[in-house]
Amino acid sequence: MDFSLNEDQRMFVKMFEDFCANEVAPLAQETDHKEKPPLKQLEAASEQGFLGAIFPEKYDGAELDMISYALLMEHLGKACASTALTINVHVALVGSAILRHGTEEQKEELLPAMSAGEVIGAFALSESGAGSDAAALRTSAVCQGDRYILRGSKTWVTNAGIGQLLLVFARTSDEPGGKGISAFLVDVDTPGVRVGYREKTMGLRGLVANTVYFDGTEVPADRLLGQEGQGFAIALEALDLSRVGLSAICLGAAEAALENGTRFAVEHEQFGGPIALKQAIQNFIADSRAEVEAMRHLVHYAAWLAEQGDSRLRTQAAITKLICSEYAMRIANRMLQVHGGYGYMKEYAIERIYRDLRAMEIAEGTSQILRFLIARDQFAPHGISLRP
Amino acid sequence: MDFTLPKEYELLRRMIRDFARQEVAPLAKRIDIEEEVPREIIRKAAELGMMGVPFPQEYGGMGAGELGYCILMEEIGRVCTSTATVIGAHTGIGAMAIYLDGTPEQKKKYLTPLARGEKIAAFALTEANAGSDAAAIRTRAVRDGDDFILTGSKMFITNGPIADIVSVMAVTDPSLGPRGGITAFIVEMDWKGCSVGKVEDKMGIRGSGTSELVFDEVRVPKENILGQFGAGFVTFMKTLDVGRVSLGAACLGGAQAALERSIQWAKARSQFGKAIVHNQSIQWMIANMATEIEALRSLVYRTAWMVDTGQPFTRYAAMCKLYGSEVASRCISQAVQIYGALGYSRDLEIERMFRDARIAEIFEGTNEIQRIVIASDIMRQEGVRISP
Amino acid sequence: MRIAVAVKQILDPEGITVNRRRERIFINREERIINPADKCALEAALRLKDAHGAEVIALSLGRPSADDALREALALGADQAVLISDKALAGIDAPTAAVVLARAIERLAPCDLVLVGQTAADTGGDQTAGRLAELLGLPQVLHAVTLSLDGERLKVVRLWDGRPIMVAVAPPALIAVSPLAPPARYPHGARILNAYRQMGVSVWTAGDLGFTAEELRPNIESRGQVFPPERELGNVIEGAPEQMAGEILALLRQRRLI
Repeated sequence: MDFSLNEDQRMFVKMFEDFCANEVAPLAQETDHKEKPPLKQLEAASEQGFLGAIFPEKYDGAELDMISYALLMEHLGKACASTALTINVHVALVGSAILRHGTEEQKEELLPAMSAGEVIGAFALSESGAGSDAAALRTSAVCQGDRYILRGSKTWVTNAGIGQLLLVFARTSDEPGGKGISAFLVDVDTPGVRVGYREKTMGLRGLVANTVYFDGTEVPADRLLGQEGQGFAIALEALDLSRVGLSAICLGAAEAALENGTRFAVEHEQFGGPIALKQAIQNFIADSRAEVEAMRHLVHYAAWLAEQGDSRLRTQAAITKLICSEYAMRIANRMLQVHGGYGYMKEYAIERIYRDLRAMEIAEGTSQILRFLIARDQFAPHGISLRP
Repeated sequence: MDFTLPKEYELLRRMIRDFARQEVAPLAKRIDIEEEVPREIIRKAAELGMMGVPFPQEYGGMGAGELGYCILMEEIGRVCTSTATVIGAHTGIGAMAIYLDGTPEQKKKYLTPLARGEKIAAFALTEANAGSDAAAIRTRAVRDGDDFILTGSKMFITNGPIADIVSVMAVTDPSLGPRGGITAFIVEMDWKGCSVGKVEDKMGIRGSGTSELVFDEVRVPKENILGQFGAGFVTFMKTLDVGRVSLGAACLGGAQAALERSIQWAKARSQFGKAIVHNQSIQWMIANMATEIEALRSLVYRTAWMVDTGQPFTRYAAMCKLYGSEVASRCISQAVQIYGALGYSRDLEIERMFRDARIAEIFEGTNEIQRIVIASDIMRQEGVRISP
Repeated sequence: MRIAVAVKQILDPEGITVNRRRERIFINREERIINPADKCALEAALRLKDAHGAEVIALSLGRPSADDALREALALGADQAVLISDKALAGIDAPTAAVVLARAIERLAPCDLVLVGQTAADTGGDQTAGRLAELLGLPQVLHAVTLSLDGERLKVVRLWDGRPIMVAVAPPALIAVSPLAPPARYPHGARILNAYRQMGVSVWTAGDLGFTAEELRPNIESRGQVFPPERELGNVIEGAPEQMAGEILALLRQRRLI
């Protein structure tokens, strides 16, 4: 057991802090209020190698270990959750899938371009009738000789509007459950791909999530990622990693909320002194601090499991994301309350953080689905196999 | 014990519900986006007596008491929190102060046009460092012959940008503090020296304008002293007490709307081959919401009955506001969860309801202040005086 | 001008579901409302009152709960309300109901106009207008959507096969107002309270109207209810336009429709 960061990680933290303070935090309010895609931030991140954070150096990646990646997401999440999530989808959802399942040709072609930010990855899994329920996926990919023909539509495709590369999950056979699903690497500019409606959201307003239509899109057979029928497994594996990133973002945003709340409690006076002297406020702060520390340990543990390639990650990532998203929301809620009327005003960062965090209990698996996964894992050794 | 609603109130509720559904609900989204409740809605509501529900008919009111007023706030709160806030700040606190403590002449001159909705009222207590802390009020009213010269600025004033008549709390004797040193005044906003300052950009209730009100050496005749000279603290405490009951009613409406939408969506949305309502997680949420809503309904309408029958109700009013705002936030947050990603989208009204609901835990005395009010009231009966 | 408006209190059809399979009608929510067409008739009367001044009398034949319908009519602006309610009148059929209403209207005489709703949303009977006009000896205009006074004459826009046409009639007359006519206004809140607290509803019994038990004996005996057979689903034809046109043509020929 060693809870300390190693020398590299400590150096990275310093670098992430500087980067976020200079390149991300100053743009956060504008990104939210104007619903601006975080392109400037992405460009700056690419210069630091963050867009290839966990890719090996031979693909121009920064080759960060998973703990360092979690630290990166934490700092980005603290500065601007929209930017953090955009990068997490690009790196942990799309990039990691290619890294693990791509052919050498696919990796050589795509990963350096992703590291450089020339290609931003978008993740196309959800459909209007299928969120958590993969068996309900209807987008189809029919094999015709050396190509697949894609038909259907995907909703809430994060990064579709700013990205070049879509990781698309489509049905290649009618086998039950996830077995009939395959993953494809589709260029946005392929004829028959149309990026449609950009979702208007409560928070995370810098995020670009669109509906994407596939109308007889021809995808060459060499754009299949992994084997036919392996798509669902690829998606789940990518989600394991991205849930670690997402949890780290929650941790960072919660820390930002706590810092803002603490500062306000010190500076704002009522009844003849700073409100920090009121026990009710102290309890808010104490509970939040305790939860932040618990989140930190969960995040680092999950990141460590990911780094080890440990199979316990599947459930632990679900646990971490469940706890982190709910704690973070709770903390933001309390810290908004500490701000009183000011917290409801857009001038104050806590207003944005609160709206941003409400997404986390829904995105990449709702809390309800995560609870199901955890319960299923818990009951499995007892001979009970739960179905949703 | 008889919990039946008198028949006239049943018909009143039906009329208001029809009005809310047909005239207000279709505009709710626009009200949020355009950040304004159209004057046309206020005019139509006024024509039906809805701008003066609790006030006697002799002053142009509806004569429906607190019970009728809670019915109004519940039904409007169901469809549009911004509109409920505009009506609430006007009726429940702005005009209410004049109704509770005004002289017959003041009521004739000011309450009558307010109750008819020809003029709009606001209630100005809060300042940059004085909300619940009356001792910190800085706005001064200095005697000058038969008049007072009012100087200072009030912040976060609901209806500030549209108010014609404002009940303002000002210090008349700094040496006496809140008890004896603060006086309430009726101020007409078109008097020389009155102006609207900064208009706030808020998370929710965006259709209801919140602004600073600036008083720069405004000459206020002594006839416009509201209540006893030096007893402004009593006036505003009484007023806020009444306002809290109807605020609880508006929260009840919001919570009820969240429950109804959750039920509809849980029936309609299918995952894993069945409507999601067949998941116990969803059933629990619906059962919890329904239980809390019924508890809130009983609390609100019993307190309204206490107001109408002249019983002391301070503690219960604070409970209405505290519990109401928390039930509404919880229910609407669960509705967001049941809707999943769609609940986070600005295309559906759940997202707006979530942003709107959050203010109720803050304004008209934060929930922390309500807890102090409740605890103080309880402990006073035990012979213990609590200072905040 | 004196206008009598007959309003019927019905169960809100929105609270009812019809289960065909079990041949039963379920009442999910028992809420009583004014029959929508009758409410339109009341609104038409109130508009005449607003424009020209009139005395509007709402009358309702029904159970004691119809008091609420009449209070609502008073809240909306009616000047007087009469409830015809009596145990002896419970369960009477449509022809007898018309006789009772006619006698009540005679008792309110002189009325320049008698307004009724075209159709009742519960039974869908469509009988009251014609029967009342006959019993009262009045000319009738059906399916009216707007009424206006032009000197001595009443100009009525009515629907004729769904299209509006104008007819003129000299009062006294009976007008049946369509449920498609302008909907009722919202009542002022204070009037709602006053309708219950200050205004009165006169209650007339069968005896007050001089009816004997013999006269009220039903002409119609109900032996049960059956549901009409369900219509079969139509065929959906899909394909390219030419192909679909061809199939439709073939079907029509096959059934000897062309």
